[in-house]
Amino acid sequence: MKFWEIGKRNLKEIYRNPVLLGFLLGMPVAFMLVFCAAAGGGQASPIAMSIVDEDRSQTSSAFIQYIGSVDAIELNEPIYSEESQAQEDLDEGKISFYLLIPSGFQAAQQAQQTINLELAYKGAAPMIGLQLKPIIEAVGSEFLGVAPPFNVELKGTESKIKNPAVNFYAPGIVVFGLMILISTAAEIIAGDREKGFLARMFTTPARPWDFILGYSLPFIPVLIISTLIYLGVGMALGLTVVGNLGHAFLIFFLIGLCAIGIGMIVGSLVKSESQAGVSWIFIVPIAMISGTMFTVEYMPSALRSVAGALPFIHAVDASRAVINGSSFSAIILDLYWLIGWAVVLFAVGIVLFRRTMVS
Amino acid sequence: MNAVQTSKLTKEFDGLVAVNGIDLEINQGELFSLLGPNGAGKTTTIRMLCCLLKPTGGTASILGYDIAKEPFKVKKLIGVSPQDTVLSERLNCWENLALIGKVHGLSSDEVKERSKELLETMGLMERAKDRVRKFSGGMKRRLSIAMALISDPQVLFLDEPTLGLDPQARRTIWEYIAELKGKKTTLLTTHYMEEADFLSDRIGIIDEGRVVALGTSQELKTSLLEMRSMVVSTENLTAEVMEDLRNKYSRLEMVKEKLRISHKDLDFKEIVDYLHSRGVTVYSAALDQPTLEDVFIQITGKRLRD
Repeated sequence: MKFWEIGKRNLKEIYRNPVLLGFLLGMPVAFMLVFCAAAGGGQASPIAMSIVDEDRSQTSSAFIQYIGSVDAIELNEPIYSEESQAQEDLDEGKISFYLLIPSGFQAAQQAQQTINLELAYKGAAPMIGLQLKPIIEAVGSEFLGVAPPFNVELKGTESKIKNPAVNFYAPGIVVFGLMILISTAAEIIAGDREKGFLARMFTTPARPWDFILGYSLPFIPVLIISTLIYLGVGMALGLTVVGNLGHAFLIFFLIGLCAIGIGMIVGSLVKSESQAGVSWIFIVPIAMISGTMFTVEYMPSALRSVAGALPFIHAVDASRAVINGSSFSAIILDLYWLIGWAVVLFAVGIVLFRRTMVS
Repeated sequence: MNAVQTSKLTKEFDGLVAVNGIDLEINQGELFSLLGPNGAGKTTTIRMLCCLLKPTGGTASILGYDIAKEPFKVKKLIGVSPQDTVLSERLNCWENLALIGKVHGLSSDEVKERSKELLETMGLMERAKDRVRKFSGGMKRRLSIAMALISDPQVLFLDEPTLGLDPQARRTIWEYIAELKGKKTTLLTTHYMEEADFLSDRIGIIDEGRVVALGTSQELKTSLLEMRSMVVSTENLTAEVMEDLRNKYSRLEMVKEKLRISHKDLDFKEIVDYLHSRGVTVYSAALDQPTLEDVFIQITGKRLRD
């Protein structure tokens, strides 16, 4: 259990260092506060809306024209006449959502019966439904001259979601926040190397895996606590976990392990603490292309392929899906990807560490 | 079996030869010093013997285990106090000792017992619960040596154990190290000749990566030193007299305002008489004991601290 002793030492070095501890645990609070506040107060640009007009009546055409005149909405062309076409485009990612005006729309309006509209969208963008529902309800009531509630049925699970923007951004922010563990882990190893402490430890019978495990272990409680802080602060500020919270936690835990694993690799390669800071050159672009801060729907396919090969986008997609209601089976591939990456990263870390033990 | 044995041990860094074919045989229980100036190759030698650097040539073994082929067996047998006093600054003495002890496979009880013994020996018990970042340089050195000893190693490496310490702290550490003589095989590196002289059973003088002389302090001084020296305290010493002396004797130098003359077959009376004849007042004159510095100068042609 040599790794346990090294781990205990490193844990003490972390929790007895108020600056580092403050950074590691204060970061989740600051991150979520800033981003949730930003998401809550943001002013959206016009939303591009696709429409399926199954009714093909004068009233439906007039309604479409009326919707097009709303500032917050920009109508996509063409107007679909069959839902299957729109569904196909939605599945292929050509459109983000569509509003279905069902046949019988005009007849229902004339008979003053309940009018049902459907808003269909991709599960990965749940905020769209909740952003648009009140707009369409308001527009519909105004156009049809009927008082709300105007029945717009949402195809999705996000009806429980309090703040769609928070639900969209929060998972990405958590993943980005956990990426900080890359530089922190790398800096601790590099610092010990620079000060000569590692060289001293290399004269003991400890093996490479003792060091990798010993330097990773202290970050496990940090990872658990910071993930709980992220989720707790997020939930206090409007994050609604529709799906299984445990599944979401598992995803964040796995991506945190991957971040620590990358930190071990960087720490094995660099010679000083300042060199470890270079990891930010990789962290920020990878975070960007992994959809931690915004949607990657419109990113060039080459970049999407790069992001897809890395673990972070899988963590963002899977956590976003779980938080917004997807089942475990929907994220199982992402989980395999994350577990695979964690294993590979730690194995590579051990190999590289072995090399650095003898110059 | 020798505790430490090297054969043509060599380390080259990008064409620069730091250690050049060193042959050493250190007996079990012996305190052996590698004495040499900064950059002579002392630390590189120790780092190779501690399995931190891979030799580029030659072989070395610790108690029969090859450092390149069986590094983990070697590491179980050694204790190391590196040149830079590297401790876990946010840990206290007990915790620092426990870390190294347990990594060496000691049980909690063994660590506790041994730590207590070492902390008492090193005079650190009163501050044992304080985090070591608050310690003085001397205290850190003592703890560093205690950490090297916690696993009760058979071979101890002390790399410049008193570097940067004031004379009093240095003397305290010498006393601790002296107590290890005969109990542990110790390889000590230093560029302080007094340290090597005071502590060592045998000394290897190292310069530019080579061991240029080897023996006990006395052997080195007597067998290698052909010259005798005398120190004269004078007044009215003119440049002309100095020039005459310089032409006649091998080495002339001013040491603390006294004239030091070194020469093979030095004739004490002849020099004093000569100085009197040239009108120089001689307040005192004494034969000087040779030092390791003299040995070093004679062998390498330069001073130890150059």
